[in-house]
Amino acid sequence: MASRVDPLETMPVSRFARSIRRGLRLWFAALIAFLYLPIVFMIAFSFDDSSTPGLPIQGPTLRWYDVMLHNRQLLRAVGNTITVAVIVAVLATIIGTMAAFVLVRGGIRYRNATRVAFMLPIMVPGVLIGVSLLIYFARAADLQLSLVTVIAGQLVVTVPFVVLIVASRLQGFDRFLEWAAADLGASPRQAIRHVVLPLIAPAILAGALISVTLSIDEFVITWFTVGSQPTLPTYIYTQVKFGVTPEVNAVATVMLVATLLIFASASVALGRARRVTGRRRRPTL
Amino acid sequence: MTTEIVGGATLAPPRSVDDGWAARLRRLAPFLPAALILVGLFFVPLGVMLFFSFWRTDENLNVVPTLGLQNYANFFSNPAYVRTLLKTMLMGAGVTVVCLVTAFAVAYFLARYVSRQWARVALLVIIVPFWTSYLLRVYSWQAILGERGALNQVLMSVGLISEPSRLLVYNDIATFIVLVYVYVPFAALVLYASLERFDFTQLTAAQDLGARPDQAFRHVLLPQIRPGLITACIFVFIPILGEFLTPAMVGGAQGLLIANLITNFFGNALIPEGAALSFMIAAFVVVLLIVFRKYLRVEDVYARG
Repeated sequence: MASRVDPLETMPVSRFARSIRRGLRLWFAALIAFLYLPIVFMIAFSFDDSSTPGLPIQGPTLRWYDVMLHNRQLLRAVGNTITVAVIVAVLATIIGTMAAFVLVRGGIRYRNATRVAFMLPIMVPGVLIGVSLLIYFARAADLQLSLVTVIAGQLVVTVPFVVLIVASRLQGFDRFLEWAAADLGASPRQAIRHVVLPLIAPAILAGALISVTLSIDEFVITWFTVGSQPTLPTYIYTQVKFGVTPEVNAVATVMLVATLLIFASASVALGRARRVTGRRRRPTL
Repeated sequence: MTTEIVGGATLAPPRSVDDGWAARLRRLAPFLPAALILVGLFFVPLGVMLFFSFWRTDENLNVVPTLGLQNYANFFSNPAYVRTLLKTMLMGAGVTVVCLVTAFAVAYFLARYVSRQWARVALLVIIVPFWTSYLLRVYSWQAILGERGALNQVLMSVGLISEPSRLLVYNDIATFIVLVYVYVPFAALVLYASLERFDFTQLTAAQDLGARPDQAFRHVLLPQIRPGLITACIFVFIPILGEFLTPAMVGGAQGLLIANLITNFFGNALIPEGAALSFMIAAFVVVLLIVFRKYLRVEDVYARG
């Protein structure tokens, strides 16, 4: 790989090089503005005093946050969301991590096919998963839709994510460390417990945090599998459909901050995972 | 296989004693829960849906278990449905092209002109909106593009228009804009991942050897990032086939896409009809994914910080 500062780069290759570069920089700035525009508006509207959010924004107020905190239904939806997210994250992390180990090391026969099979739920549009689960639960299995079916539906997408993240870290794992542990008398179980797990812990943590984020924000599959107890996104959707509800902007802002905090921790964890397993002295196996 | 280390000694990994099926089962046991979820909650429901799609709904909206292909035939004999299907494909193709061009310019800029460290920060900034609630982002576009939305109010206060315009809301243009908004981060991540591996001195070399810049671009750069381009296409096009929220929120009555037909079928308790349409799309998507499985580098999108 060439080093980044290339002597040739400093020579103008074309007369237009400089303006192309300037144009690209503007394009990049425009994209960032485009991506953050709705988010900025959402936050701004949450402090807007008028009850039909719009420009110009009238004097900052915390009124909608207050309304939000006194909305019983909404708080119940928040409670449901948190319950679901915690259960989904714990289950997905355990199940996904175990599967990742077998997938990378377990001598599975159709490994590539298995890998593709695990990517399907991530790639197949959520509406199709949701609809098929709705038929399956409500018609074929005659189950009552509830938070349990919501959890089941969300596991379909979160487990593959955890498998993916943990497997990709395990792949770069230096197995000499484990063999060294074995040489020093560790049983396979001890080697996993004291050598492997601590080293891939950041990836597992990242998987768990991403599961939480996905679960909190999951709308499409949840919409089809939810019963009478709404989660926050399905509650917001029904509210928004009925008309303008300014406190939604306040809820959205709080959710945004919460997801960003979780996502930031996941990124930090992943970054750490990369550093740990980044030394690619991979034995040929 | 063994690895040689200095001094001529060889180091062999501890070999697992080969085993009967019981031991094999024990080794594969940790895989079972995930396999159960994948099979029991993904493949089986798709199969059940296929089964339902052959049944039909009677006048009282009861599902009658008579096997037949009438739901599939009815779908294709209804011009409105077929038109929606074609529109969805066109919309998907259009959004994919716009996303790819936009994202390519950005990824090229980051890979070529920005240090790797800052490029990573920039990518993080690009991907953060993706991890915030999809529902809420679409909702706030409504507040921007809407009839009384921010865009109209700004245009009116500047004096460009005198009354609220409905040009950009509750139609296909609004859906198009929001879909580009939702999927452009994917494309940027994937394209950056492949451009990051490209050695840009090759472009200079090609030009040294007499290629025009556009020739160097077409014959040197493009072939090398083709896997990335295909991955990006898949990542943008396929989800659009399942988009019902964006059209429902900003697309208005005439801006519906194919997935809205699905939700409408289910909303009207026409379950076999909805199942048939869902299964067709699911089959199409799964075939696409299997054909392009080599390019399914989901890690490039999700597993990087």
